[in-house]
Parts: sequence; C-alpha cells; structure tokens
Amino acid sequence: MFEKVFLLFQTIVRKHTKLVLAFVLLITALAGSALFFTHFEGNIDLMLPPDKEIARSMDFLRGSSFSDKVIVSIALTDPAKTKKDLFLAVDQLSASLTPPLFMKVVSGFSVANVMDEFSVLHYAPQVLGRQDLEAINGLINSKTVSQKMRGIYLQSMRPESVFTSSLSRADPLGIKMLLLEKMRALPASMGYDVAIEDGHFISRDGRHALMILQTSVAMMDSPRSKELIAALQGHIKELPGYVSADIICGHLHTVSNERVIKRDISIVSTIASVTFLLLFLMVFRDLRVLFIFIIPFIAIVWSIVLASAIEGKLLYMVIGLGTAIAGFSVDYGLHMFIALKRGVDSTQFVKLSRLITVSATTTMFSFLVLFFSKIQGYHQLALFSALCVFICLMIALFVLPIVLSHMKVIPVTDSSIDDKLTTIRWPVKTCIGVWGVLFCLALYSALSVTFDSDVKKLDGSDPGVLRAEQRFHNVWGGKTSQAIFVVTGKSLEDAMEVNDAVFHAAHNLVEKGEFTSLAQFWPSERLRKENSAHWDSFWRQGKELELKKLIRETSAAYQFSDSAFSPFFDGLYRHQAENAGSNGLIAQLQERFVLSKNGEYRILSYFPDEQNYIDSLTEITKKYPGTFVVSGKAMSASISSFTAKEIRILAPLAFLFNVVLAWLFFGDWKYTLIALVPLVTGIVWFVGIMSFLKIPLNVINIVASIVSTGVIVDYGLGITYQYRHRLRTGTIIAVTISAITNVIGTGALLFAKHPALHSTGVAMFICIITGYLSAILVVPPLCSLIDTEENR
Amino acid sequence: MRVLTRCIAAISMIIIVMLQTGRIDAAETGTGGVAQPADLSAFLHDIGKKASSFKTLKTEFIQEKKMVMFKKKLVMKGRIYLEKPNKIAWHVDSPVRYSVLITDKLIRQWDEDTNKVQEISLAKNPIFQNVLGQMTVWFSGEYGSLLDSNDVRIKKRNPLVIEFVPRDNNVSKKVIKSITITFRNDQNYLQQLRIQEISGDVTTINFLHTILNAPLTSKQFEVKGRV
Repeated sequence: MFEKVFLLFQTIVRKHTKLVLAFVLLITALAGSALFFTHFEGNIDLMLPPDKEIARSMDFLRGSSFSDKVIVSIALTDPAKTKKDLFLAVDQLSASLTPPLFMKVVSGFSVANVMDEFSVLHYAPQVLGRQDLEAINGLINSKTVSQKMRGIYLQSMRPESVFTSSLSRADPLGIKMLLLEKMRALPASMGYDVAIEDGHFISRDGRHALMILQTSVAMMDSPRSKELIAALQGHIKELPGYVSADIICGHLHTVSNERVIKRDISIVSTIASVTFLLLFLMVFRDLRVLFIFIIPFIAIVWSIVLASAIEGKLLYMVIGLGTAIAGFSVDYGLHMFIALKRGVDSTQFVKLSRLITVSATTTMFSFLVLFFSKIQGYHQLALFSALCVFICLMIALFVLPIVLSHMKVIPVTDSSIDDKLTTIRWPVKTCIGVWGVLFCLALYSALSVTFDSDVKKLDGSDPGVLRAEQRFHNVWGGKTSQAIFVVTGKSLEDAMEVNDAVFHAAHNLVEKGEFTSLAQFWPSERLRKENSAHWDSFWRQGKELELKKLIRETSAAYQFSDSAFSPFFDGLYRHQAENAGSNGLIAQLQERFVLSKNGEYRILSYFPDEQNYIDSLTEITKKYPGTFVVSGKAMSASISSFTAKEIRILAPLAFLFNVVLAWLFFGDWKYTLIALVPLVTGIVWFVGIMSFLKIPLNVINIVASIVSTGVIVDYGLGITYQYRHRLRTGTIIAVTISAITNVIGTGALLFAKHPALHSTGVAMFICIITGYLSAILVVPPLCSLIDTEENR
Repeated sequence: MRVLTRCIAAISMIIIVMLQTGRIDAAETGTGGVAQPADLSAFLHDIGKKASSFKTLKTEFIQEKKMVMFKKKLVMKGRIYLEKPNKIAWHVDSPVRYSVLITDKLIRQWDEDTNKVQEISLAKNPIFQNVLGQMTVWFSGEYGSLLDSNDVRIKKRNPLVIEFVPRDNNVSKKVIKSITITFRNDQNYLQQLRIQEISGDVTTINFLHTILNAPLTSKQFEVKGRV
C-alpha cells in the first residue's frame, strides 16, 4: 500500500521536477511575504485551561478596570528637594497625560471636601446601624458624659485644639470613634499605604508620590501596550532631574514578556543555526547539506501562515517551540541525504521512505493528540507542529531527491562510520541490566515528583520590571496577594444590597479588618435610608433631651457655654441619604470597588488570598447567586487539577498511538515493545530526573515532554527497523546526528531567559538525551536477544 | 493598638490639610493706612531671617482662648522649649498640668489627669506631624516657608504686626480666618501670636521672658517628673 502510493507520487514528481521546484519556491516566497502581515499573540492565556472557574476569573480580571490601570510611583532622588518639588513634578506629569491613551489621572484628592463628606452629622446617620446606636445609647449616662466633658475641656488646653475644638463641638460624645471603625477601610481600600498631603498621595516617608492612571489600552493588547509605555516613558523623561519614576502595570509585563521571548528566540535560533551548520559541514564536508538545513525553515514559514489562517493569531510561545521542532524536522532530510549519498538501491530507498514516513507519522500523532486537550493553545501547538513535520516529510521524500539529483550528488561507498556503529556489539546483559536498574531508580524517583501550578512563575518579565515592583511594594506596601469576592447585580443598588448582606456574613468568617468591603463605609442606599430613619427615631425618642440634660449637669465645673454643642444638636436631623458625589472621596474609592460592564454591576471586596478564607467565603457564594470568588491560589489549584486530568487522558492516548503505529509498522509485538523502549525511558527518566533535581513539573514542561515523545519514538523505530531488516541506509549515523541536532536545538533553549522557554528546553533536553542513549545502548542488545532466540 | 493607629491614620487624612499652611504672597497695598512694602516677599524674608537666627529658644507664655464653647476665657500659663530643627516641648502649668514633646520622630505626652506618658510615632500621626510643622514655622520664625497660600498684609509698623489670611486654595481656610503675629520691638522674636478661627474662637499666645540661644538641658524636654 505504502509502496504503491509512494512510487506513484515519486513518478509524478520526477516527471515534473521543474514545476515542483518552482511551486516550492513560489509558495515559500508568498508565505515569507505573508509573514510581514501576520500578527502574533504575546500573552499565554490560551495556554490556560478553559475551566469554568478559571475562565470566569480570567474574564473578570480582563474586564476589571484595575487591569487597565497604570500606577506611577515618583521618587525624590535629590535630598535637597522637598515635597513641594515632588508635587510640582507630579502635577507636570498629570498635565501631560491626556486621552486617548490616558483617560483619567488621579494623584490625590482634596481633603477639605472629604471633611464635609465624612463629617459626623452628615456621615454617621447614614452608616451607623442599630448596633452602633446601642453603643451610643451606652454613652448617654452621667459618668460617661462627665468624662467626655472633662476630656473636651482638657483637649482645649492642648496645642492641637485650634484644629480639634470645632470637631468636639459637633461631636460631644465622640461618635467619630464609631465612624473610625467604618473608615478604617479607607486606607486599606486604596490598596496602598498612602497619606494625603496638599491634595496628593504621598508615602509615609514623604519622598514618594503616587499616581493612578486609567487607560483605554487593554493589558493584553501588545501593540497598544507598547505605545502606551513608550508614551508614558517619554513624558517621564521630561520630568525634572531630581525625580525618578517607577511604572507598575500589567501592560509592562505584556511588553516585557514579548521582548524577552523575541530576544530568546533570536539567541536560541542563532546558537542552534550556527551549531547545526558547523556540525553538518564538519560531518558531511559537503555544502549541499545546507539544503537539509533549509527544509525546516521552509516548513516553519509555510506552517506559520497556514496555522495562522486556520487558528488566527498564533502564540509567540508556539513559535518558540517551533524552533525546537525545526531541530526535529531536519531528521527526515538527514536520513534521505545520507541514504542518497550512499547510493542505496530502490528497494532500500522505499524501505527508508517507509521508515521516515512512520517516524513522521508518530511525531505528528504526538502533536495531534494535543487536539484532545481542551486548552486552545495546545490546539495551535498541535496544528503548527504537525504542519511543520508534514511539510518537512513531503520535502524530504519528494523535493530533496530531485534537488540533490540536480546538484549531481555523487554516491560514495565509504560508510565506515555507520558500519562501525552498526557492528559495535554492546555487552547485552550489562547494558540491559544497567538500564533496568537506572529505569527502576528513575521510576521510584518519579513517584515523588511535584507539580507547580503557579502560572506567575512563567512570567518572563525583565528583571528591571520586577525590581521596580519590589521598590514599589517597599514604599507603598500591598505585597500580600489579595483575593476578590465579587457580587454582581443588574443595577448598582441591587448589587450594593447583596454586598451589604455578604459583608455581614463575611464579617463573622474573616478576621476583623481582613475583609475590605464598600459596605463597611458606604452601604446601599436602602440601608443608608434605614439607618437615617433609625438615627432620627433614636434621638427623637428622648435621647436628645437626655443628653442635653446630662451635659448641663456635668459641665458646670468647666463653664461650657449654652451654645457649646449647638453644632451637634442643631445638625442632628439635617442629614439626608444621598448618593456619593461624583468628585468626592467615596466616589473615587467606588472606582476600586465597583465595576460596570455590559449593563451589569460588579462590587468587589478584598481579602487575603488564603485557603481558609477562600473556603469560608466560597460557602457564602452558594447562598447568594451571582457572587463568586476570584483567587490566584484557587486558579492555580484549578489549573493543577485540570492539567492532571488532561494528562491522565493525553499521555495514555499519545502512548497508545505510538504503540498502534509501531505495531502496524513491525507487525510483531516483540519488536514493537523494543521500539518503544526509548519512548518509555525518555518519559520516566524525565519525570524521575525532575523529581531528583527537585524541579516541579508545570503545564509547559509537560507539553514539551509530550512533544519530545514524537521524536524519541523515532529513534526506537529507526534503530529497531535497521536491526530487523539489516538496512544499510545509514540509519544509526542519521539517528545520532539527529539526536545531536535535537540536543543542540533544545539545549539552546536552556540559555533562554524566559522561564517558559527554559522549562521547555529542560524537558526536551532530558527526554531526547535519555531516549537516544536507550535507543543506541539498549535497543540493539534487546534486538540481539530476539535474533539469538530466533536462531535457536 | 495597630487598629487604633490605622484609625487615626484614616481620620488624619481628613484633618491633615487643616493643618497646612501656605506661603505668603506679596500684598500690594495694605488697609488701615499702613504702607505695604514694594517687595513684600523680600521684606518677609528679611524679617524671617532676623527672627530665625537662633538655635534654641526658651520662653514662658500665657495663652488666652476665647472660645464659643466656654462662657469664660481659658487662660493657660506655661513654658515652651525649642531646639532647632524639630524639637519642641510645650508645658502647661496651669490651670491643669500637661506636657507634650514633639520631635521629628515621636510625640510624647503626659497629663495630670491620667498621670500616664503616652508615646506615638510621628510617622503614624499626621496630625501632630503637622502641628509640629505649624509650631516650627511660627515659633522658629522661618517665614520663608509661608509663601503660597496666604494673603499677607502689614497691619502695623511699630511694633511690626503681620496678618496672614488663608486663601481659597489653602485648606486651613475651612478653620482659620486669620493668623496675626506681633513682633517684639527689636524684631528678633514674636511677642504675640493670634489665631482667629472661622467658628469665632480666638487664641492669643503672648510670649514672655523669651531667651534666644538659651542653654537647654534634656530635663526641659521631659514630659514626666518635670517641675
């Protein structure tokens, strides 16, 4: 069957050699041109599982305004300069940041307005509930009022009394202490340890100012993120020399990751290309070998365009892996070149073609098995890699022979290296015994391997970005990762009412002060109206008169005037429940707590991202529909569980494909099992070595190891096939050179700075080296055992 | 304690700006027939330079507070010790005993009622941080730092009386109507500081027996066990 189809295609190609060559050149040129118009994706979201919880969390994070915010921390670098100079720099930068890139700049707020907003008689009636009124009732007695009066009298003697006496007149009972409990959420709600001075956010050390910029640029939008960062850096450069600025935002991570990956790919490609070239030229001493080297590049160019046409924007990560795959795909041309150089006869040529086709098919299936994954990024990887392999195979089988014949490759009869390698007789029992012991050790070690689901560790941002974040956290705090409790509602009021209920439920479950909620200092309108009614009723039902009487009785010794506390009593009922003014502090803080998207409101509350809190608060989500928890740790746990579930399906499936293909190829279960030894060895040793070196598995290195199985299975197939059919097509030398090239390709990834690419390199490097060594050192002894058995 | 500190920090955001003062702008002409200097800024700078040429200060004071809250004036007597740049001890001897020490790092206060010394980090207490700022400016004579957000006029030449009125952009305008300082005849230091509040309260501090560059001991900055 294979022979018929192969020979038919070969005949057609040989009849139209010029047409075929012209076709290859034309398509390559067109695909190369198309690359200039092809866009790539920088973020690795597509590599995450499409789990409902993860998808909702990612969607939430993407849609939340804080993912589109940029924080700028401006520091005074000249000790002689003062806060005033710092504020001038902040104001200069604020004025320069204009739409469309910068929609809003917040560098502080007016405390004067905040004083009115949070004055006792304006704020307390709206936010103090029944329990608080009971606490106030507990203050209305002779002893406490007497203490309060003396306290106010004594405070009047103090230097700060100029600024505090008016507050005392409007609050003789010290109700502000109850409000402070509510307002405790204010600094925490900013998310940073800020003070306010002269209308600006300033650090406690007085040497840093903070700016919060709202931008129209989505964090994941790579081209516009670059534009945004460049514009901001441009404006920062114009600031006076006595300040420096740190930019903190997700956009910087997007831009930096892309830059690091591009730089890595460029370095890795250069290392791999130069080494491949030198290796090929040194081994073959024939410049025509360059064409083999070109085949994978042609395949990559074609594959990028084809895969982009089918899948849309390809991930940079997928293209990065393509560099390693280029190393794998060079094998087919290599086999062909060696065979053609050795002048093999047509029967051996067909057998070799069959071997290469089966090898390529197993490799393709190793990639195609990723289509069974639910992760979209894996589908891109599967398609791109399978296309690469298929195109390489086609060019190696049909185009390479005609190119070499045009180049007049003269067959050489010297096959001493390959013959020497073939005739080496490894000590059978020693090889198998050592392999068996090491295999068992690796298997034992593999049992204790760990899995790291923290995708943040795959963030390859430049160290400068991470250093800036470290400096930021040192100055402004906020290092503890926070989880978010989200309440959704069709209107703001609906959502706020549920948020009130959630806050009260959470209050009992989370340590005091650890659950920062809008409800704490600004409840729903309904609750504020209820509170106001309770307040009025409380004072009207005799408490006002009682307090006036007690003040009269207890303050005589201090000579308080009759109007001493008139600001309090005159203003008791003047309050009214109202919405937060658009320019007030509450309105500004609401931006951190309230999100509006597609006609739906989401209210966010913040709490430490700790498992016990997540468990407790997840229980609350069951009681209130439309509420959910967004937690980095919970996401990591979901990714871990999802990946484990997928591996349980994909790994056996990939193995099954390999077993079936090998069995179809050999038609004999003994040779099938021997051919699969490198595959099993590669995987077991990879997991065992990772465990031994205490390097955890992650989503990236698992995929890389699965991809590697497509290559190492070829080694087993090739060597077993060579021994079984006593081929003289140079398979061993081809496998050896292939392994060297693959090790170079994947070894180059070890120099990558991006953790995802580095992780890929580690996995592939281990798999390929161990797979190759077992193919060379274990497969021949195992084959010789069968030979001996058959000879008997 | 941590919670209380955070509470204070939160409410301090509201109060802090009240404690801000701005700087002085050159007034064009005064009222009440007193001629205003052509370059008020330079004039203030010269006065400030003269009145700030000391390292330590020791003075007694009588503070009169006419407050809407009280039927009678509150009269306090006490002492102030100042060591530049940021160390002030404020001792009230009558009618009740109270002491506060404010440095650039901490506030330590004591009162007769509780007989306890309370110590608070200044970094966590912006109210006192600003009180220190205010006191440093007014008591040390460094008027060069008051140049932006006050309207300034010379009310009288002999003795020299200068009035500072917070402008609209000065948040202390919410509380303070005006601050008037009266210099001694030699213009080396203040004779009186008068703060008029929006509420109608008036605070007058008269400085007596002021000694510039007086030798000060650590005892004078103690808040407990003092005499």
